[in-house]
Amino acid sequence: MPDLKLQRLFPSLTRRQLFAGAAALGTVSMLPVAAWADGTRLNVRAYLEPDDYDPLDASGFLEELLYGCIYRKLIQYVPGDEWAWQNDLAESIEQTSPTTIAFTLKQGQMWSDGYGEITAEDVKFSMDRHMVEENNSRIKPDLGTFTHVEVTGSHSGIIHMERPFAPIWTIALPYLAGTVICKQATEEAGGKITTAVPPTVSGPYRVREHRLGERWVLDRNPEFSGEPADFERVDLIVIVDEAAAEIAKEAGDVDFTAIGPASVQRLGDNPPAGTQLKVHPALFYHWVGLNVQNPKFEDIRVRQAIMHAIDVPSIMQAAFFDVAEPATGIIAPGLIGHRPETLIPPQADFARARELLDEAGIDRLDINIDVLNNVTHTTVAQVMQAMMAQAGIDLNISVHEGGSFWSLGVAADGDRWQDLELTLKRFSMTPDPYYATAWFVSEQIGDWNWEQFSSEEFDQLHDEALSETDPARRDEMYRRMQDLMEESGGYRFLTHGVTANLFADSIVPATRPDGLPLVQHFRRA
Amino acid sequence: MTAFRHTLTGRLLADPLAVVAMLIIAGMVMVALLADVISPHDYSAMNLVDRFSPPSATYWLGTDNLGRDTFSRLAQGSRIALYVALTAVTISGAIGLVLGMIAGFGPRWLDNSLLFIFDTARAYPTIILALALAALLPRGLSTVVIVVVITSFSEYGRVVRTQTLSLKNAEFILAERAMGASFGRIVFHHILPNVLGPFFILAAMNLPVVITIEAGMSFLGIGVPPGTPSWGATLKDGFDYIRTTPWIILAGGLPLILVTLGFTFLGEALRDQLDPKLRKGR
Repeated sequence: MPDLKLQRLFPSLTRRQLFAGAAALGTVSMLPVAAWADGTRLNVRAYLEPDDYDPLDASGFLEELLYGCIYRKLIQYVPGDEWAWQNDLAESIEQTSPTTIAFTLKQGQMWSDGYGEITAEDVKFSMDRHMVEENNSRIKPDLGTFTHVEVTGSHSGIIHMERPFAPIWTIALPYLAGTVICKQATEEAGGKITTAVPPTVSGPYRVREHRLGERWVLDRNPEFSGEPADFERVDLIVIVDEAAAEIAKEAGDVDFTAIGPASVQRLGDNPPAGTQLKVHPALFYHWVGLNVQNPKFEDIRVRQAIMHAIDVPSIMQAAFFDVAEPATGIIAPGLIGHRPETLIPPQADFARARELLDEAGIDRLDINIDVLNNVTHTTVAQVMQAMMAQAGIDLNISVHEGGSFWSLGVAADGDRWQDLELTLKRFSMTPDPYYATAWFVSEQIGDWNWEQFSSEEFDQLHDEALSETDPARRDEMYRRMQDLMEESGGYRFLTHGVTANLFADSIVPATRPDGLPLVQHFRRA
Repeated sequence: MTAFRHTLTGRLLADPLAVVAMLIIAGMVMVALLADVISPHDYSAMNLVDRFSPPSATYWLGTDNLGRDTFSRLAQGSRIALYVALTAVTISGAIGLVLGMIAGFGPRWLDNSLLFIFDTARAYPTIILALALAALLPRGLSTVVIVVVITSFSEYGRVVRTQTLSLKNAEFILAERAMGASFGRIVFHHILPNVLGPFFILAAMNLPVVITIEAGMSFLGIGVPPGTPSWGATLKDGFDYIRTTPWIILAGGLPLILVTLGFTFLGEALRDQLDPKLRKGR
């Protein structure tokens, strides 16, 4: 009977042909599996996706994940557990005075697709463009007091700074702002790289395609001038949700992913077969920010009441599963400027919160918090909602997808930034405190400073600290800056979290000391 | 007694499938009405010490990541499900009914224009529309209702239009017209009663769809705000911890399955009883 039905459907199909077809189909379906199984392909989870390939539009580590694979820098972070940098394009690079750094490029470092050799002109073009006002570079603060690059030869130049800038070795050069792009290709593209794939690359991988909302497919760059990459293909797969990423790892769809705090203990005690878990102390900082310019929070007692009504230990327990410690500020332990404790204790004081509201003449307070649609932050918000109710504060939670959320406080994206109330955010960080405070100066209002916190003393300290060379004095300055943030009533610091990476035995991942992946250095086991 | 057996209710009660459906729906309505009474715990009370508790005598369906009682949250969630389903179906049904009758009775150009609107609304994917509206409107039940109304009124409109078109030239209507019956009499005494049968079948079939849309939107984080005890939110909470505590997602899915079955069975039973062709075939 089944044969009769098949014959009706496919009149010319014989049983032999059917078996042959099935065999062929099976062989074809195994081809990608075979390519994957020989270890030449690497799948890494990305938790969001950058807008394009131009460092002018970069905002954080996600771009670095991609740029690290396709572009190069003068120097790069060394993978491992200690913060250090190593030469990349630079043959030699040294501080020749407090405000100048001389560099010489390695010979024969090539752009792909016929764009020739990487020269000092490319370095100058790449760094100087961040200083041009019309370019609206979002990472301009990374460069601190940098003014320009002086080209002294085809392969040599001098980096000039207006004043000494201590973090230039830890932030500016080895991170996003230090990314070198091709001058000729960028000018041909109209001054910005917004093409579907970059016209030229210099890193170990090149972009084959970008499937919007899904993944980047990178191939080994055959024209890479350094040691060839270990993988023929790297997919940066966009998986926003941590739980989904964990399932993807366990299903074998990704080889490397960060996982959420909920799974750290379980997977640490009992990792799946062929999988390893490594937990790193993170530099990220999560905090609840309050827009101090919102008329609702004009009275500082209201702001302080809200801060007193947030119980950080409960949040650590509920959302971070006690694998992370409460933060004392935006600067993590071990870095210059880390504070030993907060001004307001991490434990909530509901009676004090109620008292402050009464003093301000407020019976019930209705407020809103905007959060990203991820399990950790929505859990934090729900804990806050329950806690705040005890102090007579009704907290409404508004959840946003990544694109929508990250435009909330940006003046160029509409008027919503002025009406913001509370926001829950996490910023990425580099190993210098300058990178943390840079986003909270008055100049950043309408861009990254969503709290609209403005303090002359803070701005001045930030400006002075970036040139301060005495570590003790610098430490004191950054501590004071965090005190000022907290005194404004605009900040409740939560945690730095942890970075827990789950990865396949078949790869040797390379990470920064804070656990963030340097995919360009990943190797096969 | 014989007369009762020939009424719609009597015929439904004689159909085992309809009885099962009505029992499920009645159960859901009772749970929604008595949610505050039957819930053993405060649905929003956090208890971190007891979080991820498996089902037990204390927590019948276990607890979630914040130690909230899953049964109490599902009981409260039935109110949300009913509210969204009834509100959305009533509004979209009313709009569809009016527009469908206008299309059926109106001139050709108006009929074509309304058909174009129906087809456009129907063609728009629900989730895409939900994502777009979620970005523009505040999250909440009203946004869910708006999404459902926009995507489903056209179904009612099409059904009512088709029924109206087939009825308006029926012999008994022509006879009424010939006898001088007013437009209002024809519509309210003849067309409307004949349209309502298929209309209610569609509404019954759509109720679980609406509940599922609400749950789906909440699952995706674009429905009700976090903390609201909707069934979709419970599913989302369960999904996040599916590896370690599968009972949360199982408990969240159970009422959805039951309600979908209940309303679908009822819709089918109604169709069997109200569709003359199907009745003849029995």
